[in-house]
Amino acid sequence: MGVGFVVGVLGCAILVHAAYSTIQYRGVLKIVEEEFSGPPMNVVAELLLGLALCMWAGLAVPTKFLSILPDSEENRIVSLPANLDFMIFNHRGKVLPTNTELKLKVQDF
Amino acid sequence: MVGAAEEAQLNRLESQVDNGGGGVWEYLCLVRKLKARRSEKVLKHGLSILNDPKSRSRLGGDEWTLYEQVAIAAMDCQWLDVAKDCIATLSKKFTGSLRVGRLEAMLLEAKGAWADAEKAYARLLEDNPLDQAMHKRKVAMAKAQGNISAAVDFLNKYLEIFMADHDAWRELAEIYVSLQMYKQAAFCYEELILSQPTVPLYHLAYAEVLYTMGGLENLQAAKKYYASTINLTGGKNTRALYGVCLVRYPGYFTHGFSPS
Repeated sequence: MGVGFVVGVLGCAILVHAAYSTIQYRGVLKIVEEEFSGPPMNVVAELLLGLALCMWAGLAVPTKFLSILPDSEENRIVSLPANLDFMIFNHRGKVLPTNTELKLKVQDF
Repeated sequence: MVGAAEEAQLNRLESQVDNGGGGVWEYLCLVRKLKARRSEKVLKHGLSILNDPKSRSRLGGDEWTLYEQVAIAAMDCQWLDVAKDCIATLSKKFTGSLRVGRLEAMLLEAKGAWADAEKAYARLLEDNPLDQAMHKRKVAMAKAQGNISAAVDFLNKYLEIFMADHDAWRELAEIYVSLQMYKQAAFCYEELILSQPTVPLYHLAYAEVLYTMGGLENLQAAKKYYASTINLTGGKNTRALYGVCLVRYPGYFTHGFSPS
């Protein structure tokens, strides 16, 4: 996690540096009065490097990705919820012995 | 819809809580989220939180939800005194609330006082004629009294108004299956599959109803739905796998094929 974090910070720094050099390049072009067609080749290379580093950090920093397939081992539906809206209370549990000790203590508010 | 990982987490929390480790509030929240019916455990551990003023104050606003959950669990375990105390506490805090009124009517149901519960629901429904939970409790009461045809009538009328309620469709399908009215049950399961096509258990139930109905076309359709269940569960649902094997078997008699 530490390495990925450092790589991510480095990638962002490289991207910021590429943006700054593009702005400086445009300033130079304004002085020379030429059209701004695109950033110079080294800035493009720097952008690609920053992209690669940031992507690597984005995949390495989060510890575990969640599964999205519905039939994967974690996500497959095992049972339906027990339809509690239609729950009825006169089942065989009525004849089980009740523990009369546990009670709700009287609350003061 | 309870996924495999969620069920494993629920079991793990349950064993942890039973053996005295912490995490009681987490367990209760998970039971509420998954709508599992673990009334005894909820009651025991919920009461342990509610009786301890320190942990109760730590819950903040959630303690009322816990009161409701413990009240329903108490009714399910037939500890009616505890339920009455919880509901009294809730009604002191939220006087005249519909939700608390519903809990009181449910307590009457749990006591077996059907007429009083009817009157209570009728009174609540006068003020709130479109409350879904109230209509569903009427159905449950009819079912509890053994009056299944009345339950079916109520449920059909409810579904005419609230057609998107898949819990109600599921309940109706199960009632029809218990009455052996398989065509109607198949219709209900078809509605369920239409609204939620990615839940494999509806496909499985539909396939089972078709298999029970019998006849060549139904068996072929059942085979398709068993196959789609296997597809949606990644092959881990044993019942669907068994169903596919069983559906092949009657084909020997209807087609006269040699076993292939």
